[in-house]
Amino acid sequence: MQLECKHLNFTYPGSDVAVINNLSFSMKNPGFNALFGPSGVGKTSLAKLIARGNARYDGDIMWDDMETILYTYNLERLPGWSSTGGHLSKVTPPGKEGLKEHLVQVFELTDVLGSRFSQLSMGQQNRINLIRYLLQEFDLLILDESLANVDEKLRETIILAIKDLFADKMFLYISHNLMEVSKFCRQILVFGKPSENKGCFMISGQDYQNKYHLDKKKLDLTMLEIMNAF
Amino acid sequence: MLFRRIYQFLIVYIIGIGFLLAIKAVLSLSDYVIPGIPLVIETAGQVFTGYFFDVMNTLSVTVLGQGISIIMAFTVGIAGRKSSWIGSFIKVTAYNIQAYPIVALAPIIFILLGDGFIPRLMIASMICYFPLLLSVLGIMATPVTDIEHFYIVTGRMRWQLEVKIRAFENLSKLTTVIAGSATLAMAGTIVAEFIAANAGIGYSIRIALYQSDLAKILIALFMIGIIISIYQGILETLGEVIKVKWSISKKGEVL
Repeated sequence: MQLECKHLNFTYPGSDVAVINNLSFSMKNPGFNALFGPSGVGKTSLAKLIARGNARYDGDIMWDDMETILYTYNLERLPGWSSTGGHLSKVTPPGKEGLKEHLVQVFELTDVLGSRFSQLSMGQQNRINLIRYLLQEFDLLILDESLANVDEKLRETIILAIKDLFADKMFLYISHNLMEVSKFCRQILVFGKPSENKGCFMISGQDYQNKYHLDKKKLDLTMLEIMNAF
Repeated sequence: MLFRRIYQFLIVYIIGIGFLLAIKAVLSLSDYVIPGIPLVIETAGQVFTGYFFDVMNTLSVTVLGQGISIIMAFTVGIAGRKSSWIGSFIKVTAYNIQAYPIVALAPIIFILLGDGFIPRLMIASMICYFPLLLSVLGIMATPVTDIEHFYIVTGRMRWQLEVKIRAFENLSKLTTVIAGSATLAMAGTIVAEFIAANAGIGYSIRIALYQSDLAKILIALFMIGIIISIYQGILETLGEVIKVKWSISKKGEVL
């Protein structure tokens, strides 16, 4: 399983400024990886290109051993005509009911399955949305700030559970949380600020798994490395 | 909602009558030009029952015509929602045709079909069809990306689901447009009856007009106003019931 970009350039139609400029990187093997950087540097644009959007770009994106790529973002909504539990059941493929029950429990959503989507808090909305994607068949799942508005402790629980339950899948996590990305991601593609003409850097994260032992020194070093990169 | 509609109409009607009476008083006009209140009440006693059945006759054509135009607007709107050539063709055609005053076509319909029920129904449907179609097209052709994304990327999207999502997300807009189109359908029916028909309140107004009987016309306007207010109120109440049944209030709207 490999995701590789070579000399990728992308400019939105009608714009003169390239959002992605000569980007090359490679991510190998299943795991939890990240795109990190300030707002407006092209993280979401890159994610959409990777997810095989229809936009035209220069350069190459290569997906090795990846059939299904899904992209999810934090503003998605579920239809409001029935309960979130009802929707979740409808989109759960046969044989994955057990996984659904488990995810609902880990994501702490058992009590809100009878509620409509509009009645949930923003954090709950993002969690229920993420669950329905995790229940689908995929090789690469891109999470664009999918855990926004979720408290830090639960976010950690969710990320560790995802890493545990989907060890054979690749994830691309877009987040603005430096600590979280440094702790849980294996490869971190850091986007530099375009105004300072910094390129993109691939940095190795701590890739903590369940029941990890925190090595503060190593974590600080990773965070420092990321901060220096953008 | 129903009573609010009736109150609103009564206020407008009373202001209108007051304005006419003020003109009558200022210009010292006779009852023949602008009738006084006693004459209006006396005329009401004479024609109320007849006009009531005339308005009900008109309303039946209105309801049927509106129903037909709603079905047509949804059928064409759903077919024209895609950005394919057929969708674009339907949209451009609808926008161009609606720019033409449909009432101007009424004489052609009467020449071809004569007086009677069918021409009235056709004109009522045509007058409220195009504004309805534009609204339905606008709603159906606008993707609700935040909801549709999941179904598209997971290959679950079907046209029925797409229509359901877009209709649900625009439920308030749709019910308002449908309730509003009732006035258009009523206007279309009355215009048709006014031009050439042998029944309905428009036909009675035409007779009153030839008799220069403003009292009868004022009574007819009162009956039309009250009945259309009740009809619109019922439509709006039905819309609310559907909204409440299908969805529930959003958290943010409560706070």
